[in-house]
Amino acid sequence: MSAKTIVTIFDYGAGNMHSLAKALDVGDNVEIRLQRDPLAALATDALVLPGVGAFGNAAARLASGAGPMRDAILAGLPTLCICLGMQLLFEESEEGPGGGPAGLGVIPGRVRRLRARRIPQIGWNEVDSFDEALPEVAYFANSYVCEPDNEDCVVAYTTHERDRFASAVTIANAVGVQFHPEKSSSAGVRFVRDFVHGVIR
Amino acid sequence: MTLTRRLIVCLDVKGGRVVKGTRFVDLRDVGDPVELAARYEAEGADEIVFLDISATSEERGTLLDVAQRTAERLFIPLTIGGGVRTADDVARVLRAGADKVAINSAAVLRPEVLSDAAAMFGAQCVVSSIDAKLIEGSWRVFTHGGKTATDLDAIAWARECVSRGAGEILLTSVDRDGSRDGYDIDLTRAVSDAVDVPVIASGGAGSAADVIVAIRSGNADAALVAGILHDRVTTVAEIKAHMREALLPVRNAA
Repeated sequence: MSAKTIVTIFDYGAGNMHSLAKALDVGDNVEIRLQRDPLAALATDALVLPGVGAFGNAAARLASGAGPMRDAILAGLPTLCICLGMQLLFEESEEGPGGGPAGLGVIPGRVRRLRARRIPQIGWNEVDSFDEALPEVAYFANSYVCEPDNEDCVVAYTTHERDRFASAVTIANAVGVQFHPEKSSSAGVRFVRDFVHGVIR
Repeated sequence: MTLTRRLIVCLDVKGGRVVKGTRFVDLRDVGDPVELAARYEAEGADEIVFLDISATSEERGTLLDVAQRTAERLFIPLTIGGGVRTADDVARVLRAGADKVAINSAAVLRPEVLSDAAAMFGAQCVVSSIDAKLIEGSWRVFTHGGKTATDLDAIAWARECVSRGAGEILLTSVDRDGSRDGYDIDLTRAVSDAVDVPVIASGGAGSAADVIVAIRSGNADAALVAGILHDRVTTVAEIKAHMREALLPVRNAA
């Protein structure tokens, strides 16, 4: 048994993981791992589904371990899901060709395209929430948003043009955020570190 | 509140160092890209762009190392452009530490690079970099650092880039670049009104007032600044204070 807390980033094989890994790295008692195998990724104290890539590609990478991952998250595995990672918690997405691979289905609902003129939404927007752990303003880069069947899981909303969408959700010990905390400067990094500290305790 | 208007700082990188010069000549070393990017983040910059102006493949190789070191220190978005030719190049640059990749000349030669990259990584990380110059009453696309003319109309080309998967347009006026006479507002507005993705105005910033006009009259979502910051004509904080006074929605630095 390792005395360290293991935090595993599931690696879809695309994109910048360095800022996220650095944000998660709170010190010597934490080991950050990158893992491309969805089943192996579950041998961890905490899981991170990062926010880079397209839904179809990422869902395909998850497919071989989707069932066990869903069960682990629902059973209480601490999980931080960022942008695309949040969207993967849902059942299906409008992104990509129809009939593509499904999401994890941890939260009933779907991922739909933003209803706005300027898409993608790229830039800093307000995170409207009573949860003080969330940054007040954060960096978004997304064309799609999550639409849960039941809004009880929603802990923050954000509005792009006139489209108000869920920008943070929680279920079991998982939190999903539509923004990129690892790109949201000091307030975002604080949110990521709070997540890790919550796992260590 | 709404989506804030962004102030983006651009750094020219050659051989792993930030350089400054006039139209690619008289280059002077002005510092380490990692240090400078972190300093601009601390001052309140909303994003950083590294423009790779390396001439050789040896110089270019060091860029990936710079990208990684920067990503480990920088907690705002980093865009890297310059010399990106294929979807594999995009993958390498993203993997190294960029959040977005700007593609310019390569897209003119082979527009499929935009759709390939968007399909693999999502439109939000594909930036179409367009250099435009006014010729006989219309804006023409230029490639290779603004040196090579093409037959493409900038507005039509911007539309095509978006239809092929670009998620953002970085629009530089070759006429205004380095002039400090202000952005080309007519060009910015024409492209911004023609496409539905965010447009970044670039080329010609001389003051905070120019940034405000680019956003307000040019309908830009973001403005890119370089020389006036590097020469300490003004600061990120000063420009954002003016934007705030002009009632533009801007992010406060922590």
